[in-house]
Amino acid sequence: MNSTSTIAQAIRLVRRELRGGLRGFGVFLTCLFLGVFAISAIGSFTESAKAGLLADASALLGGDLEIRLAHRELPTEGISFLTEQGQLSHVATMRTMVVDIDNDKRVLAELKAVDSSYPLYGKITSTPQLNIHNELDSRDELGALVEAPMLSRLDKKIGDKVKVGDAEFKIKGVITTEPDRTVRAFNLGPRFMISLDGLDATGLIQPGSLIYHAYRLRLPNRETVDQLKAEMQARFPEAGWRVRSWREAAPRVTFFLDRMNLNMTLIGLCSLLVGGLGVSGAVRGYLDGKITHIATMKCLGAPGKLIFTAYLLQILFLGLLGSTAGLAAGATLPYVLKQLIGTHLPVPMTPGIHWQVLAVAALFGLLIALIFSLKSLGLARLVSPSVLFRGYSESGNRNPGTAVKVSIIISAMILAALAILTSSDQRLAFWFISGASLCFVIFRFASTTIVKLTHLIPKPTNPSLRLGLGNIHRRGSPAGSALFSLGLGLTALVTVMLVQANLDDKINETVPNEAPSFFFLDLQSNQVESFEETVRNLPGLTKFERYPTLRGRITAIAGKPVTMAKVAEEVRWAVRGDRFLSYAKEKAPDIKVVAGEWWPSDYAGEPLVSITADLAKGFGVGIGDTLTINVLGRDVTARISSLREVDWSTLDLNFALLFSPGVLENAPQTNIASIHVPAEHEETAFAAITKQFPNVSAISTRELLKNVSQTLERIGTAFRSMAGLAVLIGFLVLAGAVSADQHRRIHDAVIFKVCGATRFDILGAFAAEFLFLGLIAGGISAIVGSLAAMGILKGLMKISFTLHPGTIITTILTGVALTVFLGLVGTWRALGHKPASYLRDVN
Amino acid sequence: MSEPLVNIVDLHLSLVGGAGEVNILRGVNLSITKGETVSVLGPSGAGKTTLLMALSGLEKPTSGQVQVAGVDLTTIDEDGLARFRREHVGIVFQSFHLIPTMTALENVSLPLEFSGCRNPEQQAEEALTKAGLGDRINHFPGELSGGEQQRVALARAFVVKPALLLADEPTGNLDRETGQIVMNLLFDLQQEHGTTLVLVTHDEILASRCERSVRMIDGCLREENGAGS
Repeated sequence: MNSTSTIAQAIRLVRRELRGGLRGFGVFLTCLFLGVFAISAIGSFTESAKAGLLADASALLGGDLEIRLAHRELPTEGISFLTEQGQLSHVATMRTMVVDIDNDKRVLAELKAVDSSYPLYGKITSTPQLNIHNELDSRDELGALVEAPMLSRLDKKIGDKVKVGDAEFKIKGVITTEPDRTVRAFNLGPRFMISLDGLDATGLIQPGSLIYHAYRLRLPNRETVDQLKAEMQARFPEAGWRVRSWREAAPRVTFFLDRMNLNMTLIGLCSLLVGGLGVSGAVRGYLDGKITHIATMKCLGAPGKLIFTAYLLQILFLGLLGSTAGLAAGATLPYVLKQLIGTHLPVPMTPGIHWQVLAVAALFGLLIALIFSLKSLGLARLVSPSVLFRGYSESGNRNPGTAVKVSIIISAMILAALAILTSSDQRLAFWFISGASLCFVIFRFASTTIVKLTHLIPKPTNPSLRLGLGNIHRRGSPAGSALFSLGLGLTALVTVMLVQANLDDKINETVPNEAPSFFFLDLQSNQVESFEETVRNLPGLTKFERYPTLRGRITAIAGKPVTMAKVAEEVRWAVRGDRFLSYAKEKAPDIKVVAGEWWPSDYAGEPLVSITADLAKGFGVGIGDTLTINVLGRDVTARISSLREVDWSTLDLNFALLFSPGVLENAPQTNIASIHVPAEHEETAFAAITKQFPNVSAISTRELLKNVSQTLERIGTAFRSMAGLAVLIGFLVLAGAVSADQHRRIHDAVIFKVCGATRFDILGAFAAEFLFLGLIAGGISAIVGSLAAMGILKGLMKISFTLHPGTIITTILTGVALTVFLGLVGTWRALGHKPASYLRDVN
Repeated sequence: MSEPLVNIVDLHLSLVGGAGEVNILRGVNLSITKGETVSVLGPSGAGKTTLLMALSGLEKPTSGQVQVAGVDLTTIDEDGLARFRREHVGIVFQSFHLIPTMTALENVSLPLEFSGCRNPEQQAEEALTKAGLGDRINHFPGELSGGEQQRVALARAFVVKPALLLADEPTGNLDRETGQIVMNLLFDLQQEHGTTLVLVTHDEILASRCERSVRMIDGCLREENGAGS
């Protein structure tokens, strides 16, 4: 029989097999559907969100091109150049305190001052709907538009007046949409929108004030933006401006989306791997039921190759069916989300069919179906016709053959390669695949070992316990599958929950104990003396720190332009945009130098800089290398003289880059300060400082952490949902294993009854079996999940790990409850069978 | 005259199937004394197996009385019947009905375990040795021949030293020679333990090994030799 006729004959056999319907493949199809749906849904959502960002790019950026500066405005020649290119709009943003005139209450706000051209794209909408430029800059009074939380925090309404700096503003309306409001995980304060003239009137613009000026350009043809960008960089090479085109409208959001996509895809892949066990169980159960058929076909002359090919084609067809359903559901998710909750989504969405995403998800599904079916297919090929004469099939593991084993390994390697190559962070994907493979090996080893070890447990005298324990290591027992599937799913859940719990600890418990009560921004140099005097008189003050501060951007590392330097992923943040810089004469007591030497307090030599040790490692630099930072348009090259170790989690004032004295003193700058006061004195401290220094913005650490905590909770929910999906699939796999085992259980239950077992004896035996399995699965997942969480927290995130016994116990109980529930459902059906009718039918 | 071990009075048993109600047993009366061996002959579908099911408590009569070892089987619940079986009844089937994932030793231990026996394996091993399978105790049913499987089934049935042994076509799936070996073992064990035997069979020669024969025709029982209904 040649290959073509083998395939043709195999197809004929498959068609006959499928005439019987899809019975027995419920778990197979469901596991593939859920796993492929998870991956295609995540990918489709991300791509649709990115498409939405791109479609709205100019509106999000505020123009086709944006030039951004800190502390200063664009020089005249820059403005002239840009005005020649298209329509220009100027926007200034900063943080400031908004004051209730009536009772002096103060709220931190994100101030935005706009010109008459704003917005270049999109529309500002408000309640009531206004002509904003008329309202913000009316002849009689200065107006403001605010976000709703501003009104609630100040207990104000539209028409009331508030003060910012030296100027009073009348609240004219509430902003409902702001087209260029950057999508952020959290904001420090609600929006307060005024005109540029209004900003001048506040008196907040001082040399060094932490104010950002953005100049947006609307071009006649936005496709020419790259050309213009290049022309600007050539014409103003030393300007130190940050220039972004509409193509880079929301880099942080895109980065965040890619990161979420990566992490959730990896968890989705984990779910699919767990689902593979369901596939394996279903195929094994199906082919076990076909043993007589296969033996008969072999008796009639069918070669093993035909058997293998026929069932392989059947499995691939069913794999395609399950995967296609998953793809369809995943691809439609963005449409459904947009329809149902479009306005509440944090990112704009342009739903579409993203074929690459779907193709990758489909490949994952098919590879999983193949990898987890090959062994059973290989064994089916080896079924002996002698089975027909013996009555019972041969039990125990048999070798499916070298070719099958090699095929499984190759398919697994293709799957791993696909996961790594399609990932935006291949290093992380590689470690994930390695970790997941290790988990597989651990669980495989654990389940095999534990099942064998149950042999060594002394046999209980109670018949139910004895039978239950015996069932675990009995041939054909679903014990291995249960431990594997439920264990892996629970491990994913434990890992995610422990990571979340530790992050929550860090924010809610550890940090507030050590963190400052307040940060104060925009303290002018001429206010420092009176500020320090005020602070030192605050009741309960335990710690006070103050540093001068400027903004600057790293432009070269060890002489190489930053665009060409090799920067490790974990410190890329340092070269993305402006960073806070500072300088100091003395080494503060809590500064920890780990390499090199701090400069003497009277140092007056070449510019030196002290950087954090992790930054040095990520940049690949050491003591003696140089860094070039652009500060207000001027490049400053400093030699690295020391490395510091900084624990950022304490939120103490610190800087990644600290310069030696004599480098930055003459540049326009402000000061940043932090104070530590007991909670009961916080309100007094806040009132005292903000009243005396109305230009200073006060950030409450408590509020900041609450914001971060809420955001992390939202993100955590998404991850927990994905991990929950892994548990659900594990549950389905176990259900499949129990269901596939149903026939055996019914037979066993009947024989037990014949031999004198009461219903309680039988129920007890099965309950004992599943109780053991649940405890073991929960126990192993608690250990492996804890180790995985520890690896993620300490290895990847570099933060401490605390065991949460409550989480562990909850997981073990969940495992036990799920397993026992499933076992008893299966048992109930078995118990319901009348022995006489069963025996009669079999006879 | 000693109290009969088995006493069936006016036993009716009907089953409801797809085609409606079927009267399987129609007023069966049977009395068997302790230690007696009785063969039940009759064509297929006559109700022979159903009679055995009723005697073992695996099937509930529609009406009538079934007393075995002084226990009225019609008055006790399902769990009570299970306990009754483990103490008084051994059953051997045509299809052996061993647990395929348990070894021969484990299969034979089962009824002893359910009755709370302290050392079931020891007694099970003795029973298997007596059945000539002392060297096969750790083999699974799939690794045994048909005759060996039936001998395991016999060992399982006799290990509790039952008062009553019910055998439903025990040699139906065996060749003549193997069947002979199995039946010899059956009768040897029966004599050793003084067990009352009810043997359902098509085989007249096999039936002749019993002291008494009854014939089931269309759900009614007739004595072949001796009194009957």
